[in-house]
Amino acid sequence: MEQSRYIEPSVNLDAVFAALADPTRRAILSRLATGEASVNEIAAPFEISQPAVSRHLKVLERAGLVERGVDEQRRPARLKADNLAAATAWLAEFQAFWQGSFDQLNDVLVQLKKAEAKETGHD
Amino acid sequence: MTELPEYIFERTFDAPRDLVWRTWTDPALLKRWYGPNIETVIHKYELKAGGVWLNEMRMSKGSDFSRMDFEEVSPPERLVWRHASTDADWNIASNPMMPDWPRILLTTVTFIDDGDKTTVRLSQVPVDATQAEVNCFAMAMANMDKGWGSGYAIIDEILAELQA
Repeated sequence: MEQSRYIEPSVNLDAVFAALADPTRRAILSRLATGEASVNEIAAPFEISQPAVSRHLKVLERAGLVERGVDEQRRPARLKADNLAAATAWLAEFQAFWQGSFDQLNDVLVQLKKAEAKETGHD
Repeated sequence: MTELPEYIFERTFDAPRDLVWRTWTDPALLKRWYGPNIETVIHKYELKAGGVWLNEMRMSKGSDFSRMDFEEVSPPERLVWRHASTDADWNIASNPMMPDWPRILLTTVTFIDDGDKTTVRLSQVPVDATQAEVNCFAMAMANMDKGWGSGYAIIDEILAELQA
């Protein structure tokens, strides 16, 4: 599986997966994928408190998936898409490896069956 | 013992089982499909329990090496091997990008006879794994199976846009 193009020492994939293991944090990432937002703005659609959102944001921040703005009032959270891409790429490649291989296996089987049919004179 | 996470991939092929078995156990056929859009070189292939399959996948930015140590060969029903990523000298090595990814995955391929069709069931489970490796694999599996729900699909789309 090709990994070299994703290597970036600052990305800790273990921390990324741990951060992604929580549905609320994935929902927060979905929200941030549409644009930066303050804790208030993030908390609004969820039934969780602002301190809880802040805690989730800290986990996401430590995993390198989110960064906070310097604006003292709002400290808007922003998605760091590169690091998220590294994690999704890893899983996608693991899955794609077998999926792609099995697709090719299917092609090989089709060819073998054709070759056999020719030899035995069947259709 | 705690239950180990398992990755399962299943597919049905429109071919009899003997033929499907050949595609996994004849290296000339195996190298044609193993590794999607990648040139695969099989350096060694000993089809027997205790035998080894040394595999290189050549990619634009260097090769990916792995060794499979066969534990069971039961034609035409079952293949079991320990699947490890290695360095170029076939020594088992952890992944530099993700040190907690399991170094060894016990891989079981089951060929299920369904008349003219054959179902191939692939299973991978970490073996001799540290707790960190088990956790890492479990989280990855959970994310792959159910975690990547509708919310996650949105992120995928946006990532695709960002990378376009």
